[in-house]
Amino acid sequence: MRIDLRPRTVLIHLALIATALVMLYPLIWMVVSSLRPGNEIFREPGLLVKDLRIENYKAGWNALTEPFTRYLLNSAVVVLGSILGNLVSCSMAAYAFARLEFAGKKMWFAIMLLSIMLPIHVVIVPQYILFSHAGWINTFLPLIVPKLLATDAFFVFLMVQFIRGIPRELDEAATIDGCGRAGIFLRVILPLMVPALATTTIFTFIWTWNDFFGQLIYLTDPHMYTVPVALRSFVDATSSSSWGSMFAMSVVSLVPVFLAFLLGQRFLVKGIATTGIK
Amino acid sequence: MTRLKALAAAAIISTLLAVSACGGDSGGPAAKDGEVTLRFSWWGSDARTKLTQSAIEAFQKEHPNIKIKGEYGEWAGYWDKLATTVAANDAPDVIQMDEKYLREYADRGALLDLKKAGDLKTDKFEQDTLGAGEFDGGLYGLNAGINSFAVLANPAVFKAAGVALPNDTTWTWDDYNRIAAELTAKLSGKGWGTGVIGANEAGLNLWARQNGESLWTPDGKVGVSAGQVTKFYEYVLKLRDSKAIPAAETVAQDMTASLDQTSLATGKVAMSFGWSNQLNAFSKASGQELKLLRIPSTTGQATKNGSYYKGSMFWSISARSKQQQAAAQFVDFLANNPASGNILLAERGVPANTEIRAAVTPKLQPADAASAKFIQDIGKELGEPSPAPPVGGGQVEKIIQRYTTEVLFGRLAPDKAAQQFLDEVNGELK
Amino acid sequence: MRRRDNLTAYLFLSPWLLGLFLITIGPMIASLYLAFTDYNLIQAPEWVGLENFTRMLSDERLHNSLRVTFTYVFVSVPLQLAIALLLAVVLDRGVRGMAFYRSVFYLPSLLGSSVAIAILWRQVFGTEGLLNQVLALVGVEGKGWISDPSTALGTLVVLNVWTFGSPMVIFLAGLRQIPTMYYEAAAVDGASALRRFFGITLPLLTPIIFFNLVLQIIHAFQSFTQAFVVSGGSGGPSDSTMFFTLYLYDRGFGNFDMGYASAMAWFLLVVIAIFTGVNFLVSKYWVFYEN
Repeated sequence: MRIDLRPRTVLIHLALIATALVMLYPLIWMVVSSLRPGNEIFREPGLLVKDLRIENYKAGWNALTEPFTRYLLNSAVVVLGSILGNLVSCSMAAYAFARLEFAGKKMWFAIMLLSIMLPIHVVIVPQYILFSHAGWINTFLPLIVPKLLATDAFFVFLMVQFIRGIPRELDEAATIDGCGRAGIFLRVILPLMVPALATTTIFTFIWTWNDFFGQLIYLTDPHMYTVPVALRSFVDATSSSSWGSMFAMSVVSLVPVFLAFLLGQRFLVKGIATTGIK
Repeated sequence: MTRLKALAAAAIISTLLAVSACGGDSGGPAAKDGEVTLRFSWWGSDARTKLTQSAIEAFQKEHPNIKIKGEYGEWAGYWDKLATTVAANDAPDVIQMDEKYLREYADRGALLDLKKAGDLKTDKFEQDTLGAGEFDGGLYGLNAGINSFAVLANPAVFKAAGVALPNDTTWTWDDYNRIAAELTAKLSGKGWGTGVIGANEAGLNLWARQNGESLWTPDGKVGVSAGQVTKFYEYVLKLRDSKAIPAAETVAQDMTASLDQTSLATGKVAMSFGWSNQLNAFSKASGQELKLLRIPSTTGQATKNGSYYKGSMFWSISARSKQQQAAAQFVDFLANNPASGNILLAERGVPANTEIRAAVTPKLQPADAASAKFIQDIGKELGEPSPAPPVGGGQVEKIIQRYTTEVLFGRLAPDKAAQQFLDEVNGELK
Repeated sequence: MRRRDNLTAYLFLSPWLLGLFLITIGPMIASLYLAFTDYNLIQAPEWVGLENFTRMLSDERLHNSLRVTFTYVFVSVPLQLAIALLLAVVLDRGVRGMAFYRSVFYLPSLLGSSVAIAILWRQVFGTEGLLNQVLALVGVEGKGWISDPSTALGTLVVLNVWTFGSPMVIFLAGLRQIPTMYYEAAAVDGASALRRFFGITLPLLTPIIFFNLVLQIIHAFQSFTQAFVVSGGSGGPSDSTMFFTLYLYDRGFGNFDMGYASAMAWFLLVVIAIFTGVNFLVSKYWVFYEN
């Protein structure tokens, strides 16, 4: 391996490393804190630790009414359902908006964008009532079904923008080869928007994994709690909190998302640029 | 498309109807074979969750036909969830309630009058401790633990500064300011004398009570005058100018910090204002055995410092609960049964049931025992119980924090701050 | 290609349409109705006509929250996008260890709105925080950045910029989408790196820049969690981080005034819609689509 030592390259790397350090300081602090006895965390700031202890991890894992594994599994179910939903339903809607001509297209698109402009806090009560009529409270359905029905307009719009970047000549070529709309969608558009699908997967994973409000409201039974809800159960603003356990379990809960990101980002680079279509 | 429209119309209509009629599913699931399921919700950290879960198990052993489903969470989310479930008529049967929101829910008919819930006895409660959850002739929250506003002192910081702990039965506000300023001076940059009064409404309430007024009146109005609030803020400025308290930024930071991150918990201040049941948490956080001191008074007499027994939290029952009888049995168990007393100890404050209190006091950890003793000691000095905040009054803590910050940063003069504070609080009441 | 495909289109749209009619629209209309009522969440709503909206005219805390929100939107969105784009372009140039840097830069965004954020932010910007320690090394006296009303909003802007990972990833995906044939053609013409960037990369990336701009603006207007977590739900100190949605939440859930909160929400919707609409109108002049 030849090491590139041109001043420009070195400068770029120095800048990148400096940025990385600044960005990572809070996270490093969190990891260090998770290895400290709970009551030392705020009394002894800084990153130096005399002895690293993993007690917080043991304690945190079993501190609540269920082992932490349960919350990780619950979160995984919600996340996987959401990813599946977003990938399928959002890409379908996006294809229609980006490539098809139909009556009322602009109106529907505007409505779609409008639907993400209301703050959740004023729709949560009617929504709760709606789902409670359906008997869905304390199930994962209120968290997953909306994703299956493409209510996350963010991803629809994201995919629309990506599809619009795909040359139309490809669609036309496929039509000549005898592909219908569904064929073009499945064989041309989907393979070419892998980066967008990867982005959707990664974001859905992370955002669902971290989403607190919906999971707090709809899941009442501690058996059904997810990671973010469980994490907050370590904390009481007006009394004793288990910060050590909270930080330890926060670190634990970062692992799956980070892995998801590492895996997902491989697909980010597989665009047209690398599949070699010319 | 027409079927879709019909479906949509049905969905919209049902939502609208549900909102306007408070419809929705009912509280507890239907009973089968005489078995009853109750939903019970509380806020708190994992330590409380563990203890509460054990208490639930103890109850279920005594009452095999009643199943309790515990729901827990952190403070802010707890209230969002409670409001949402109440709105959807899907509230838990037994609710851990705070003074701030007690009337908010009770005055609007969401809570059951516990006097009418048959199986709930309150004969072992002192009248003062019941009073906190009682208004308009009904008992809507049963005291789950007694609390008193107090000064929390860190003897280690006093020692480091070479200042003696004060005599808290005779000290005045001037003494307090002097001692705190002396502490700051002698700590020479390593700490300060005290946290600020005015970080919550309890300080102002006691100040008002010492001067013949009160933050709230029993009929749900503001009971403190602009003149008194002005004096209160002038005193806050005195604390600032004598350097008894840290810089405004640190004070403001403490107001929203979690308990463990405050200056008292990290050993930066010698004293601060807080609740007696926080002694244990602050002691653990600071690694020191903190002490509870009485609130200073205007006259130098502890009997006139306006203190009262506050409910640290309350047990309430949803008025729409279909299992009110079982819910009352459960609350009775939590409040009056030695078995639960021995499990919960002082987790929610010193037990209000006098017999339970006497029985568990020897079993408490040192800090909790100290706060139990403090509660017992001040019993003879108390004034009238303080009325619970009226509907809309729950917001007052955030409001007073904001105006205290404005005063400390010098952005508002005390009289202006006092007037605006009162205007805003009055505006919140309904 | 320009024939209409109504049936196919509606088939593709059917999941979304179902979601719209069954899940999204009902609660939206309910909240619109509630905007004209006095609704305390516990008792049935009472129709009050336009009262909630007229009250907004004289609500000074609301006006303040609008000022705070607009400042935040106009400062943090361009800043975050510029940094995200810059780093995406640098990382896309085939810098050695790109995967590593990309992951590191993305790490903060993984934290989302975790409770830990509140603590971490105090560890950096508190009176005893990292920033002040660094400043002390160079002899500058720091301050309580989070608790001083004049700097608290700034720390939230930094917090938002800190999580530039999401737009960065979207930019990266967009960069990867640009067909290599354009660069190859440009290379044949002997275009410089700078010219390739402004001639090819930037124009072809405009749909993605546009997307990030529209969504980040919508997102910033609705900004809630970070301010909520860092200020302990108070929007403090002195309302200096009281975002519009935070105030709306405070009215709705804190003060049990859901009617007023709903009115505020619909006002916000109109504001965001106007911004988005203008964005779309202007996009005709700078966003470049294939064909």
